[in-house]
Amino acid sequence: MSVISFIVFFIMYKAGDPVELLLPPDATHQEVVQMRAYLGLDKPFTTQYAIFVKNALKGDIGNSYIYGQPAVDIVLERFPATLELAFLAMFFSIILGIPMGVIASVKPKSILSRSIMFFSLAGISIPVFWTGMVFVLICSVYLGVLPSSGRGEVLFFTSAFTWDGIKHLIMPVITLTLFQLALIIRLTRTGMMEVLMQDYIKLAKAKGLPNRVVIYYHALKNTLIPVITVIGIQFGQLIAFTIVTETIFAWPGTGKLIIDSIQNLDRPIVVAYLLMVSFIFVIINFMVDVIYTFVDPRVRVK
Amino acid sequence: MRKFFVLLLGLLMCASAVNARTLKIGMSSDARSMDPYFHNETATNSMLSNIFEGLTYFDKDLNVYPVLAKSWKVVGENTWEFKLRKGVKFHNGNDFNADDVIFSIDRIKNWGKSGFKSKVNMIKSFDKIDDYTVRITTKGPYPILLRKLSYVKMLDAEYCRDKDAAFLGLNPVGTGPFKFVAWRKGESLTLTANKDYWRAQPFYSDVIFKPLTNNATRVAAALSGEVDIIDRIPVMDVQRIKKSSKLNFFMQPGLRLIYLQMDQGRLETPYVKGKNPFLDVRVRQAIYLGINEDSIVKHIMKGFAVPAGQFNPEVVFGYDKSIKRPAYNAVEAKKLLAKAGYPNGFEVTLDAPNNRYVNDAQIAQAIASSLSRIGIKVKVNALPKATFFPKTDRLDTSFFLIGWASTDGDSSSFLDGITHTYDKEAGYGRYNRGRYSNAQVDELIEKAGVTIDEKERLGYLIEAQRIALVEDMSVIPLHYQVDLYASGKNIKFTPRTDSHMYVYDMK
Repeated sequence: MSVISFIVFFIMYKAGDPVELLLPPDATHQEVVQMRAYLGLDKPFTTQYAIFVKNALKGDIGNSYIYGQPAVDIVLERFPATLELAFLAMFFSIILGIPMGVIASVKPKSILSRSIMFFSLAGISIPVFWTGMVFVLICSVYLGVLPSSGRGEVLFFTSAFTWDGIKHLIMPVITLTLFQLALIIRLTRTGMMEVLMQDYIKLAKAKGLPNRVVIYYHALKNTLIPVITVIGIQFGQLIAFTIVTETIFAWPGTGKLIIDSIQNLDRPIVVAYLLMVSFIFVIINFMVDVIYTFVDPRVRVK
Repeated sequence: MRKFFVLLLGLLMCASAVNARTLKIGMSSDARSMDPYFHNETATNSMLSNIFEGLTYFDKDLNVYPVLAKSWKVVGENTWEFKLRKGVKFHNGNDFNADDVIFSIDRIKNWGKSGFKSKVNMIKSFDKIDDYTVRITTKGPYPILLRKLSYVKMLDAEYCRDKDAAFLGLNPVGTGPFKFVAWRKGESLTLTANKDYWRAQPFYSDVIFKPLTNNATRVAAALSGEVDIIDRIPVMDVQRIKKSSKLNFFMQPGLRLIYLQMDQGRLETPYVKGKNPFLDVRVRQAIYLGINEDSIVKHIMKGFAVPAGQFNPEVVFGYDKSIKRPAYNAVEAKKLLAKAGYPNGFEVTLDAPNNRYVNDAQIAQAIASSLSRIGIKVKVNALPKATFFPKTDRLDTSFFLIGWASTDGDSSSFLDGITHTYDKEAGYGRYNRGRYSNAQVDELIEKAGVTIDEKERLGYLIEAQRIALVEDMSVIPLHYQVDLYASGKNIKFTPRTDSHMYVYDMK
């Protein structure tokens, strides 16, 4: 994480001077000099970074240049909104994606399997901003049944507990789910088809075990390891890169915040955000490792 | 007991039904802070204009009118006396008086993070005479003081004194027609009518500002009726808005001039081989004549811009009716280039931002193709604003596209910032990044800066612009941007020149 903080710090330092964007064009030279000194930007890079590390160790990443509030607070304030979208999208992708993948692998020639595969192909190839905009056009502009933007009523950090909140959630969650769902379907299907050819599956069938047990217990369990790995990576991606969806639906999450902050060279927010995201990535990787041990006893440390 | 609750509920519903009119406004960007002195930035100023008031404010055409000041008069050479309005209360119930004025001017001038220092840097001293009288002394005669004071929004001294900046940035208390309710960053800013307002009650009882930064989302929200008003309609969506039976479309000529400036301060300039061609006024004039601005407005701006022939549009004080933009004339432009010694033109790089002004990078491309017809080979270097502005400030440029809005409604803003010789000490010419310099023009600008008599002053402003534009061609005007709005058919909405969403005027 210290490496990340250094890289981000350096890139933001090189990217330009935020003072030019903070002050109005008719500001005087004195003002510019004062503002630069006030933000500590007049010092050389190494000094700036040293001050940052000293404060960061005390838990203070600094105040946002744009909002004037502590950067960590601003990022934390927005995180629930992003996590909510990511969790729901991942949840639906998993509970729908794995069974659909299994179905598509068991009878690959059936109409149902073919339509699932067609759907997953569409899900993978259609860009998110397009699906999002089409949803808005149909559901909000023409039908007027769903709100096109915002989060609605929020209770306990999430909008999933109120009807108004749920209405706001439907479109963004579906938009985000589509791609992940398609990906999980395809992964599960490929994995299953490979496993179903294995000798031990033939043996299980020969033993006279019911088809369902063979598929859902013996075969699926062996398919899951790569699927879980990808789910872990994708979940991290969802948290870090919901930017497009958040922008389309004016969802007040961190994705929108980070884009604006990069454009305005708001270094404290960018640093705070990336530190937090890298921390979450570490946690997710750890959790994925733990889940491995449940699914596959061979992974356990002796 | 149950009956009582039913009754209470019924009463509450009636009460809210009587005067509950909520106005929802979709904004292209969010406020940055609830502190009116933090950033001088249009969206923030626009939203806060509903919560805070200054001694003066602008009407929709940028004329100054008294708000918390009841009247004023000039009492000494450089001293103005302001009589304050009595009976005005802050949203927390405190009275507004001279102490608040003194506190506010002091804070906007001296707070480290204040983004408005340039608005008050001519104020030398400010004194309380009695509870409702304040005297302000300026460093010299200062004709535009009243305009500048409109930015000094009045804060409650008692409330603010013991609070830190982070708290004030989230909890605004002003005297305006609307009170602050809640701000969920990136999602909504909610205001409610101020029941103790000193003028008549506002028409709307509640206002919700929603930042809808994505253009398509903002347009969709207006079309579906989720918001009542939106700003900054992208030019490609104008037809859809016009066709809608639910929406009215508005086009408001804005203040922002998009213009080109070139290096006129160095014998050799970084992005041209050999000597600096821009030192010759004929080259600058050739470029002016050689840009087909009508075509840029028509094809790139889809008609939503006004070709510019001056530094400022007509609403700004200092506009000169006699100066017109010459017609596009490539033949004449070529002749001028030949006379200047460039019959075959030259090569140059044009720097332009790509996320600051409407279609900025495309405009630069169009200029390049226009100028190629008179022999000048232009390479466009489009950069994000965060890189572009520091680059031009370092003078690491020979030729650049940039914009300026004289938000005070006075052409001294442009003349001081861009036309006057660069002078770090006196605070002139910070945006004069082409380093144009003419002593005669400087003198006129400085004279205008200390002349109170409006007519005499107008003469100086007009003459300064005439020399700097017609004779010296110090910058090349392109067009004025236009603000595009849509509002529900049932709403009486009038766009303002300063782009503020001032809800008190809406019905």
